[in-house]
Parts: sequence; C-alpha cells; structure tokens
Amino acid sequence: MTMFKYIKSTKIVLAAVGLLVFQSCTKSEPIAITSDQFYSTVDKVTEIMIHDIFSPPVASRIYVYPNIAAYEIIAQNSDYKSLAKQIKSLPEIPKAPEKTTNLSVAALVAHIELSKQLIFTEEKMTTYRDSLYNIWKSQNSTEFETSKAYGLQVAAALKPWIDADNYAQTRTMPKYTIDTDDPSRWQPTPPAYMDGIEPHWNKIRTMVLDSAAQFKPAKHPEFSLEEGTDFHKELKEVYEVSVSITEKGDDSEEIQIAQFWDCNPYVSVTRGHLMFATKKITPGAHWIGITKIACKNSNYNFNDAVYAFTKTSIGIFEGFISCWDEKYRSNLIRPETLINQHMDEDWKPILQTPPFPEYTSGHSVVSGSASTVLTAIFGDNFQFDDDTEVPYGLPIRSFESFNKAADEAAVSRLYGGIHYRAAIDLGLIQGRNVGNHVLQSLKMK
Amino acid sequence: MVSLGILFSCSKKSEQVFSLLKPKDSGISFTNTLVDTKDQNILDYLYYYNGGGVAIGDINNDGLPDIYLTSNQNSNALYLNKGNLQFEDITETAKVAGKSDWNTGVAMADVNNDGFLDIYVCAVVGINGFDGQNELFINNGDNTFTESAGEYRLDFDNYSSSAAFFDYDADGDLDVFLLNHAVHTQESYGKAAVRTKRNYESGDKLLENVNGKFVDISEKAGIFGGPNGYGLGIAISDFNMDGYPDIYVSNDFHEDDYYYVNNGNGTFTESVKTYFSHLSKFSMGSDVADINHDGYPDLLTLDMLPDDEKVLKSSAGDDNLQLQKIRKEQYGYHYQYSRNMLQINQQSKHFTETGLLSGIAATDWSWSALFADYNQDGQQDIFISNGIPKRPNDLDYIRYISNNQIKKKLENTNLIDQEALSYMPEAKLKNRFYQGEKQLNFNNQTDNWVSQEATFSTGAAYGDLDNDGDLDLVTNNINDVASIYINNTKKNHLKLEFKGIATGAKAYLYHNGTLQFKELYSQRGFQSSSEPILHFGLDTISTIDSLKIVWPNKTNQLLTNVAANQTLTLEANNASKTNTNKNTADSKEYTFTKVENQLGLAYTHEENPYIDVNRHKLIPYQISDRGPALAVGDLNHDGKDDVYFGSSKFKSSQVYYQTESGFTRDSTTTILSNNNIAEEIDALIVDINNDSKKELLTASGGGEFFGRSKALINTIYDVPANARIEQLLPENFEDTSVLKHSTDKTFLFVGNSTMSNDFGKVPESYVLKTTTAPFSKLSLGNLGMVRDAIWTDFNNDSVEDLIVVGEWMQPIFLQQTNGEFKDVTKNYVNEKLNGLWRSIISFDIDGDGDEDYLLGNWGTNSKFQASQEAPMLMYYSDFDKNGKTETLVATEKDKKYYSLQGLDELSGQLVSLTKKKFTTYKDFAGKPLNQIIEKFVLNEATQFKVHTLESGILKNEGGKFSFEAFSEDLQVAPINCFAKLTIDEKTQVVCAGNYFGVTPYHGRFGGFSGALITDENTIKNGYTIGLDFFSKAVTNLETITVNNQSYLIATINNDDVQVYKIN
Repeated sequence: MTMFKYIKSTKIVLAAVGLLVFQSCTKSEPIAITSDQFYSTVDKVTEIMIHDIFSPPVASRIYVYPNIAAYEIIAQNSDYKSLAKQIKSLPEIPKAPEKTTNLSVAALVAHIELSKQLIFTEEKMTTYRDSLYNIWKSQNSTEFETSKAYGLQVAAALKPWIDADNYAQTRTMPKYTIDTDDPSRWQPTPPAYMDGIEPHWNKIRTMVLDSAAQFKPAKHPEFSLEEGTDFHKELKEVYEVSVSITEKGDDSEEIQIAQFWDCNPYVSVTRGHLMFATKKITPGAHWIGITKIACKNSNYNFNDAVYAFTKTSIGIFEGFISCWDEKYRSNLIRPETLINQHMDEDWKPILQTPPFPEYTSGHSVVSGSASTVLTAIFGDNFQFDDDTEVPYGLPIRSFESFNKAADEAAVSRLYGGIHYRAAIDLGLIQGRNVGNHVLQSLKMK
Repeated sequence: MVSLGILFSCSKKSEQVFSLLKPKDSGISFTNTLVDTKDQNILDYLYYYNGGGVAIGDINNDGLPDIYLTSNQNSNALYLNKGNLQFEDITETAKVAGKSDWNTGVAMADVNNDGFLDIYVCAVVGINGFDGQNELFINNGDNTFTESAGEYRLDFDNYSSSAAFFDYDADGDLDVFLLNHAVHTQESYGKAAVRTKRNYESGDKLLENVNGKFVDISEKAGIFGGPNGYGLGIAISDFNMDGYPDIYVSNDFHEDDYYYVNNGNGTFTESVKTYFSHLSKFSMGSDVADINHDGYPDLLTLDMLPDDEKVLKSSAGDDNLQLQKIRKEQYGYHYQYSRNMLQINQQSKHFTETGLLSGIAATDWSWSALFADYNQDGQQDIFISNGIPKRPNDLDYIRYISNNQIKKKLENTNLIDQEALSYMPEAKLKNRFYQGEKQLNFNNQTDNWVSQEATFSTGAAYGDLDNDGDLDLVTNNINDVASIYINNTKKNHLKLEFKGIATGAKAYLYHNGTLQFKELYSQRGFQSSSEPILHFGLDTISTIDSLKIVWPNKTNQLLTNVAANQTLTLEANNASKTNTNKNTADSKEYTFTKVENQLGLAYTHEENPYIDVNRHKLIPYQISDRGPALAVGDLNHDGKDDVYFGSSKFKSSQVYYQTESGFTRDSTTTILSNNNIAEEIDALIVDINNDSKKELLTASGGGEFFGRSKALINTIYDVPANARIEQLLPENFEDTSVLKHSTDKTFLFVGNSTMSNDFGKVPESYVLKTTTAPFSKLSLGNLGMVRDAIWTDFNNDSVEDLIVVGEWMQPIFLQQTNGEFKDVTKNYVNEKLNGLWRSIISFDIDGDGDEDYLLGNWGTNSKFQASQEAPMLMYYSDFDKNGKTETLVATEKDKKYYSLQGLDELSGQLVSLTKKKFTTYKDFAGKPLNQIIEKFVLNEATQFKVHTLESGILKNEGGKFSFEAFSEDLQVAPINCFAKLTIDEKTQVVCAGNYFGVTPYHGRFGGFSGALITDENTIKNGYTIGLDFFSKAVTNLETITVNNQSYLIATINNDDVQVYKIN
C-alpha cells in the first residue's frame, strides 16, 4: 500500500522503479516473465485446439489474433513497431495507463483472453490462466491487477476488429456442392467422406495481402485421364510412388517423411462399428512449433519471441487464405478418388486424404510462407532438430534450414499419396510469394 | 401420493403378459461369457459383441420343446425340457458342446428327415485365430447326437453367422441358405458391384440338398457371394405368394440388403431396388409376418437408432444428402437409413415402409425381432432383443476420448485394455415388447408387459415351453444368464404342429372375415430358430370359421369350425390335391391403364441438382423441388385442350398441342425456352384478360434465385403469338406456389409460399381483380406459407369464397363479400389445425349433399411429430446475428421440446451459439431446445406451429367443419395433389404424393402408391387400381379428354410424365 502511493507520487523512470521495488520490499518484486511462459501459453492453445478439433485454416486464425494482441502490447515500449497502420484496419490499442503496468504480463493476459474466446473448451484455458494468475498475484498483486486490467482492455479493444473479419458470416455460407458429373471436381474421400471444409475461407479478411487471390498460383496441368497427358502422368506418379515406397516398408525415408509432416488434426479410423480418431497438430501448429525451437535456440527474450511468433503466424494465416482461395477455385479432385475409380479400387494413400480440394497443397503453401518468414528472422542455414511431433509419437527430424524443412514438408504430400506434384511445387512458390509479401509489408523493427 | 403409486404399479403387474423364470427354478444357468483376449476384442473383431443364438425345438419328441444356446467362446448348451418348466443340461451326454472357437448362429431342423430335429451350429473360422467349423449334430433319437457336418458337406470353415433350412426348390428335402459375414473394409464404399465377386469366407451360400449332400449352387442360383456381404439377418418367406420361398438378407453397413425373388426354376433374382423404396442401413436381425391381415407377409428389419434423447444426440448420426447421392449414383447402392424398417407387402407389387408411422423405428441397439401374438388378441406383436456391452458410436468417445485412449494401445499391444474400453458407454438395455394394433400401429408395452432387468440380449427364440398354448421367449445374453420369459396370457389360441416335410407350409385362419396368415419357417430373428409350430391368438373366439393349410407341394387342406385352445397335429399326406387359385387379381381390368406412349406427352422433368441444405443447413425440407407445373387448356383456340409442362431451372418448359389421336410437341414457340431460368411451380391456362382466348400463366419459385431476380417473376404468355403479355401482373419476387382463377373469371388468387434464401419469412399473398388492366391487387396479408387454394362457396351465398392451405398454417377460410375478402376461419373451424398442408380439393365424400374438403398433409410416417397437445414448433430468426436467418424445428418428447438436429448440424450453422456452450456431446444430448438456445433468443424468434401431420377431411357438418384423418394407408407419405374424375358415372377423387426433398435423417417418403377415394368407406390404394406411383414424387394430377376418352395425367418430379386411360 505504501509502496503503491509512493510510486504514484513520484515520477521516475520505469527501470528505477524496478530497482526501487527490489530494494525496498522483497514481497513486491516485479513479476518476471520469461519467453518460456509465452511458449507454454501457446502450447496450451495448441493442446486445446487438438482437443476441440479445428481445421487447419481455422487453427491459423486462432494463433494469429492473440499473437498480434500480445505483440501490440509489447511494441509500445520496445524496439518493435506497432502493426496498427500496417495490417488492414487494425486499430491502435489503448496505451498502457500506468507505469506500473507490466507489459509482458499484460501481453500474456491479452493472449490468453483472446485465445479463450477463439477456442471452444474455455474451461481448459481458464484453468491454465487461473494458475498463472495465482502465481502472479502472489508475486506482486498490485502489478498483476494493473497489468491484467490493461491486458483485458486491449483484448476488448481488439475484439471488434477480430469480429469484423467475416468469420461469423462464412459460417453460414453455402456448403461446397458436389457434382459427380464433373469428373475433375473434388468429392469427399474415405473413410469419413466429410464435407469440404471452409469453402469460403478466401472471404476472411487478409492482413497484408490486397486480396486472397494476390498470389494466385499458375494453373495445374489440365485435367485429363488420357495416358501421356501431364495430369495423367502426375496421377500415375502418385500411385507409383505410393506402391514403391509401400514395398520399401514403414521404415523407408519416404514414409517417415510422410508421417512426420502428416499434421492432420483429425484422422478418423473405422473398425467395424468401432470408430475412433487420432488427432495431431495442424501444419500451422507445426510451424509454430518450429518457431519455438528457433526462438529457444536463439535464446530469444519474451519480446523477441512474441515478435517471431506474431510474424510467423501472420505468414501462416495469409498462406491459408491464399491457398484456400485456390483450392475452391480449381476444386480439383484428389488422387485417392481417381486412383480408386480408374486404377486400383483397393488403393489407400499412406496418409488419410484431408477433406478439401487438392490444388494447391496447404502444407506446401503454409510451409513456403512460414519458412520464408522464419528465414528472414533467424537467417538461412539455421540448423535445428525438429521435435515438434514427439508428443504425437513421431521421431525427431533434423534440418539444415527452414527452407529445406519446407521442401520436405511439401514433398511429404506426394509420399503420403494425397497430392500431385504440381500442388506441391506450385504450392511452395505460392507460399514463398505470400511469405515475401508479408516481409515486405510489415516493418516490425 | 405414495400409496397411489404403489396401487398403480400393482395393478400394472397383474396385467403383465410375461414373468421371468429364475435360473434356480428352471435349471438354465447358461451365460454367454465374453473374455477379451489379444485376438478377441472389439478392436480386432468387428462382431465381437454379436452374441450367441437360441434354438427351440423338441429334440426327443416328448411334446416338450427343448432349448439349445450357443456360446461365442465356450461350450454351447442343450437343455432338455423335463416338464413343469424344469430343464436339465444334457450337453455333455448329448455330445453337442461344439468344438469351434467362436460359435454364432444355430438352427434346429430335421436335416436327414428321420423325424428327429438335428442341430446346426455356425462358427466364425479363419480370422483372429478362430479355429473350428460349422457343426451338424445329427440326432441319434436317444438324446445323443453325432457331429456329421463333413458327411453332409456342411463343414464350412468360414465366417458364418446364421443358417436357414428351407426347401427352395420344393423337391421335398431341406436345402440351406448359409449367411456369412464380411470383414471387408468399411472405410471406403467401393462399388456395389463388388458383391458380384465370389469370396469363400464372406460370401453367402445357397446349398442344395442332393441326396443328403449339400452342394453349393449359389452362383448358378444368382446368390451374391462377395467380400462385402455383412450378413446379419435372414428371413425366408414366400413374399410374392407364388409358391416358392423367397429370401431377404439383412446386411450391415453400407452394403444393401438382398431381396432374392425365387424364380421357381432353381434361380433367384435379387430385386431389392425394384420392390423397396429404402432399407435399414446397419441391418441386423429380421422377421416376417402378415401384420395387416391381407395374406401377404410383411418384413421387419432391425437397426440401431436410439430413441432416448441422451443417447440419440450423443451417437453418430446420418449421412448428409450429398454423400447419399454419391453412394447411390456413383457407387450403386440403394437408399439406406439407420432405423428399423417395417416393410408392408403391398400384394407383392412393392413394399411400403412404415417404421416411423408404426412407432417402432427406434429401439436402440437391436438384434432379434420376433413377430408373434404374445397377448393372443389376434394381432401380431413384436419382441425385440437389445443391448451391446460397449456403444462404439458414442461421439464423445470418437472425437474426444479415443485419441488418447486407443492410440497408445494400438502402438504397443494392439489390444485395448479395460481402461480404454471403460470410457465407451455401456448399452445395457431392456428387451422391448410392442403390442400390435388393428392397423399399422404398435404400442410400446415394454414396461407394462414384464418386469425385467436390462441385459445385453442378442439371439432369441420363442416356443411354448410349458405347453399352455401361449408363446414363451428365450434370449441369449452376453455376460448374463439367459432370460426365459414365461407367457401368462389367458386368452384363446390355436397351435399347429406339423409332421413330415412341412417347412414352408402356409396356414390361413379365417374368422368373421378376418384373416390370420402364417408360414412355417423356424429361422427367425437373429442367429436363432424358434419352435417349428404355428401359433394363433384368438382373443375370445372359441371356434374359428375355417383353417386352410397349403402344403409346400401346393396341396391343400381345409378344416372348418375348428375349436380354440387346442394343438392340432397336421400331416402333409392327409391333404387333398386341390389346386389353389393363382393370382386371379392380375387378370381383371384395373380402373387405370397406363398408356405406354403417354399419348405423345413425352415430357420428362429433370430437376436441376440444387441442394437447399447446402445453403440453408437447417431448413426442414427443400423448397427447390416442387415442379413440374402442369396446366391443361386450349392454348391454340382449336377447341381441344392442350397441355403445358413447366420445367425446372435451365430446362425448357413445353407445350403439347392436342391432335386427332394424341399430342404433339410445340416446336415453334420460342418464348418459353427463352425464359428457362425460371423454376416453375404452378401454371394455369385460362382466359385471364377477357379476350375470349386462353393464355398461359406461370408461377415461379424454387428457392434458388433470390432477391429481385427476374427468374422469380410470374408471367403471362400468349403462346400462339409467341409473346409475353406484359404489365398485367404486379411484380412478385416471392416463391409463388399456386395460381387459381375464380370460376366467374373475376379474380386470380396468387399464393406465395416463402422467400428464396430466407425460409421462414412469410410473404404476402393476394387476389388480383382481372377485370381491369393492369390487374388491381387486393392484398390478403401475410397469410402463411401457402401451397394450395380453391375457389369455393363455403357459405352458400352463391359468391365464390377462397380456402387457402399451406405449411405451418391453418386452412384459412376467406369469405368474399362484394369483392372484399375477410378471414372468417374461426366461424367455420373450431380446431387448431396448423399442418404442412400441400393440397386441397372439394368433394362431397359423405354423400350428404354439401361440399367437404380433402386436405393433403405431410403424413405421419415421419420423424416430424405433431399433435394438438404438443404441436411441432419451428423458430425463425437470425439466431447468431450474422445477417442470415435460420430455422430450428423442435418436437415434443416426454413433455419437453428437443431440436431435431444434433450438435454437429446445429454448429454447422450456429457455431457461436453451440460449440462454445457444449464442448462435449454429453453436455448437449438430452437438453431441451430452451437449454440449448437461450430463452430470450427463442422468444425473439418468430414461432410457427403444426398441430397435425395427418392428411384428411374437413367435413361439412351443417356449415361448420371438423377434421377427420384418413386411414393409415394414406398417411405413409405426403399427399401432394388431388384430381376429380368420373368413373362409372360417379364423381370420385384420385390423390397422389411422395416426396424426397429431405435429408437422410428423415429418409425418403416413397411408399404411397396413390389412392382412389370413392366415398368415406371406399378408398382403394393405387397399387390395386393400376396406378404406378410407388417411389415417385407426383406433383400434379389433371384429367383430360381425348377423342371422348378420359385420361389422367400425372407429373412427377425428376421423372417421366404418366398418362392413364380411365376405364
């Protein structure tokens, strides 16, 4: 109480306050926030997303808004620049009212609050939040309360902006229409035969792209089932690669790669009447995981970590919009459908075909975009051991650079039997274009 | 209060039909105990929980039926009936324990025709380490048996689930249909044609008895033997009554059931798509009996649809419409829905499915169905065995729990441990009893007929265990002692026993003009065979008029004045060789004769492939499939009536001009094809502008175009002039459903049903005064979702009034006084009569000289439920405030209103309102609508009601009208249209219906073959008078005269026009 009054009545620089607090009263140290607390918060969001089952595009949205909120808070008192005039219609957030505000705490509070609003199972988020709140409160309740109030204020201030991204409207838009009379048109795939997900994701407000179609990829080879055409060659390649690596067995490099990058949030398994699901992280979440590895390897502090996550998640978010725009423009049929119809009735891809059109490959676009952003942040030839998938029973893989990892993620879709070559190659180009545009558009330092 | 409760339950108890026999009293302690092992568990064997079978039959000919029970993993058991409901386990001495690792179905039959019942036990062999073979225990006649499957060549080592012994070729010996189950992947459909391949392990087999050796004649006989036949149920019956037994096979999963029609020449023709509109999807056990006393056997197939809201809404639901389309069109499967199906045999022309109407569609995880007259009141009742130790389609388990629980096990041991399984909900359920009523209804008497514990009961069989004349029941239970239900009914009965080759014998019992018909086939239900007797309940009848037996060799035996409460023993060689009259019905001339070339009206309606639920995910039914429109009238002023067909979007409408001999298509007019964007719902050919020439008026709608789209505008054409007549009609962007011109040619009624892209918004309907140009509009206000109307003088003041009907609304009486229209409904109808009305016609049905009105409604064979006390509700609002409206439909169950849609369907449209609030299916399931959507949100919404779904009569009783429902035959599907015609100089009404614009949750309404309504008591079903409307959605009926002959024209959505000569 005395402390509080004292600070209110003096005008000394923030650094001095910290010093003063430390000296005068050990019970009211400033709350120390490390980048680890940010990582574990993002990990928590990932965990809840897996439980709640969000499709890859929706997951990218759940990552990006809390990151931006956290970034905008820390940007007001650091080397980082606000994104307010750089991202479409992003408002300036209210300034931190008190010098006592711990911006790191506020950033986490805002992050957690927005994450909680965006996921379904709030209880899991609030349990996590409350345990953090209790620790912070016990460390310095005054600072905590001020920072919390501010964090919530920022979250509330950003809410109308988030709500205006057309997400709510796209929920009610028409479902994808199946037309089996068109042999090239995508149709649901085994085993769950789910509807095409997010057919209107291109109507979600972009951050920096002028439109969802800004980096529209070149056209895929023209659909044809004639022997010798480019399309047919690519179709045959999927089948032949699959057959040959299946012969090599589960330990083959190709199958290892396919499984490592599966990143399918919901693989449904049916055995008789028994159905169950194996759930993993999404492609976006995998790259968020790589971002964490890079931050950790570079000993990033809290602010730097928030910066890296924010920029990468914007790249991922834009990548999905760009990719989904093309997916529901070309509406291309999956190799599994064609192979079952025309080549081998019993063939099953190594990975389960995800429920949306083929062209371009989502993982390729997003990997292209995320790796481009990460290369800009951490440099090329940044070696890392990727242990992101370990919790999902997959081994560690090592990469020489983000770009090499992205190349592997892209080609994994061919090994997995779920994409043709063009979707991979042109998807990577599309993603790198998106990534570069994000880099050019955003001045964060 | 308490004492009242006790009193009530006591009085109930005294009426109970059954009491359960205790194991210590009966000596039957058999339990089908399942112990999970590495290979034997629900993960590794898909039919791990299918349980064992029951066979009841008198193995020692002492007059007391004995019981055989199969155990999946352990010894089977044979219990000898010692009388007084005392049983002795003689398995060991009889040598019938069996040696297979996994036993399934059982059949008792006198395979070697020596007068003693033998026992055939099926086994699953060759997967999961299961060893063994199907075993045939030949009865030595001294309470011992000798396993002789090899000798008879019945020693199959494949995936058998059941076997049915019957004489398929009527040669006097028993052949067998061996039902096998598949282990083929259920993950992808594959083409239906995979069934034409042959697979030893999974393929069903028809085995002909050739001098005591069974020979596989499946291929030659036309029996599918593919790797995808998940055969779980088999029913043998002479469904088409041609003297040769037919076969119905229930297949699980996406494989269609098979309906094998016996050609009488040793071959069968699989014909399920021809005779059935739709089938159970996860078909399990089945049974056959004539439930409606017409002498044709009806069929019940079981599935696994729950009726408890909590279970229903947390279990995996139905496919969506698009997937159904793919499965049907691309892969070649039939329509299948997950619910019990009661298929009523329409004199072998087709089967009309009435499970929902009959109240037996949802009985949860059901295995055996056994028809019998348990309470002996003369009506067939139904017993259904139920339960599964783990409910594997629990959505929380699938979505949220299985991931963690199963994944790690799969990676390591390939065995789910008890902990992982413990998260899967158990479905220990009571076996069900349904009491048959006079028409097609069944009453759930489960809680009234017996006091029982919940069990996992699978196979079941009936027999008269205590020889008191009524039927007792035995069920084989997983991890529980077999249940013995002893019947205590006191009403009269007649029991028939047979000697010699009698399988397939038919018994016709007549009394007071009522027929009870039964066939002697003992393989019934699921994996089980019942006592080979025929049992009739006779209520209070002490002597029946006659009993006719038709033996398998087609000889007859007639007994008259047979006394009740006895057991008759019948022998084939006592029969006289009188031939039965064969199908005399076919030779007689029907009222309607289909004209093969349609008199030249070769119009085929093609519905454009638009799916309403893709845009309006929660719409209760489609609004885009209401065409074609039909109008009859003289368009080219030659004195002969011409015909107009209004088409769907992007298809050209057509005029056909009448010629000397028929009709010829108008190929010169271009104005109609130029306006082909409109979806036409109704049309009129009348002189609308009083120029003494008739014009064509078209009404547009269709739900697809919306806003101020030109495609929605109603139009007037001068067809011979190839021109549109502009500016007479007001602009109209609503979905117009009906145009009616008053007889005095003064008024045109324009009825609007809804707004495209905004279902639930009620548009204005109006009357146009056509004596001015442009027509002057008299608004009738937002009447409702109008579907039909008639000009009629209901108040007898010689001025035409208007009655308007539609969906979610009351029939509205609009009285005309000096050109003004006033809603006077309250003066004429005192009941609350909101319906989903689709059609109206005036007709003096009771012949009392005043006009009654016939009304077509949705029918009661539906998941929609409505009554005066508990109307069906629909809420219309922008629930999630995103600028787009939605509708929510709720029906009452146990005094609460529940959304018809589950969490996934609701969150597909209202994610913000549902997924955040209900993070598990368990949270959502069982919650009434007002706990799902906040009360204040519901209160803000527009509420619609439906009080009745029955089609029927608004009967004129001295100027006031009261509603009387048609009989159940006319409630099996929506009635879409009526037409008046004159037959034998009497004015009569023909009606037609059916509708398919609903999601697989509702299924298909295809069972109505139309009807001819002569008077109150004379209503003939379409299949008896020559109408071919089964499985066709008829939209319009009109009569037309060509060369002094009357014809009936029927338009059908997405199908050819039909023309009938009226005889």
